[in-house]
Amino acid sequence: MGTKEQIKETLYNVAEDVLEKLAFIFSFPEDERDQMDYTTAVATRVSFAGPFSGALVMAIAAEALPELAGNMLGIDEDEETTTEQQHDALKELINVVCGNLLPAISGKQSVFNVNMPEIVPEGESIIKDDRPQPVSVAKMDIDEGQCDLLLFIDGETAIQAD
Amino acid sequence: MGVKCSAFFQPGARNPKRRGYIKMSINVLIVDDSGVMRAMILKSLRMSGLPLGETHQAANGQEGLETLSQHWIDLVIADINMPVMNGEEMIERMKENTEMRDIPIVVISTEGSKTRLEQLQQKGAAFIHKPFTPEKIRDTIKDIMKLGGSDGNQGTN
Repeated sequence: MGTKEQIKETLYNVAEDVLEKLAFIFSFPEDERDQMDYTTAVATRVSFAGPFSGALVMAIAAEALPELAGNMLGIDEDEETTTEQQHDALKELINVVCGNLLPAISGKQSVFNVNMPEIVPEGESIIKDDRPQPVSVAKMDIDEGQCDLLLFIDGETAIQAD
Repeated sequence: MGVKCSAFFQPGARNPKRRGYIKMSINVLIVDDSGVMRAMILKSLRMSGLPLGETHQAANGQEGLETLSQHWIDLVIADINMPVMNGEEMIERMKENTEMRDIPIVVISTEGSKTRLEQLQQKGAAFIHKPFTPEKIRDTIKDIMKLGGSDGNQGTN
């Protein structure tokens, strides 16, 4: 397990790779910018348990969802995707990010159980009371807006030692 | 159980009961709880140049087994983490069934644990990690179905 900086770098690398390969979307790290406005974003969350437990949250500008889902489904630009398809695409995206992230920060021998991703209901905070602070946040700009990834790990102090 | 025969035949690669068909086309069952992922896999298969026959889709292992009992399937492409019945249990049930045990299985998943991957390989499944490329799917299918190929890219598991 690495330091927080190493975890953040891994988070950026995995997110960039998955966004590009799965959704054909290029992302640009914008670590210095403020966190995006989560009240206007669409967010998805997936929790996991294994050598450590926690959750990964992805918040993305609502305007970016049609392109993301359209790219993943391979449909023409003039065709529209349904909200269900857009949410399904977002859930698949975070599922793949999480599946690639955990072994990258914990080692390939580690076994994690990753739960089904869920869309965070509108009006609900993406940050749960029992996980007040993310261990790491990746802030990226994409064509149609912004995208933030927040990694929460229970018992955060346990992972800070190299 | 109504079994519908596909035209697929690969000498020595399958159950002898299935011999006798000479025109190649592969009937595929895609099992994944994500409709988007099923669409992506289907798109990749169509781009792959493989001789596709019928394609069927199921949202979990239980639905997958039901589809297998109703249609002739030459290849199963399955996810691991799914509700109702996961991919691992579906593969175990297939291996217990004489009609299904020889059907090649490709698992496409985000699973990153080496331990779990070895368990799947012991069950005879090939594995593709998400995110994948159409080329990776093509080469893995060619390899597991012993289809060969002139591009020399097979067998890249």
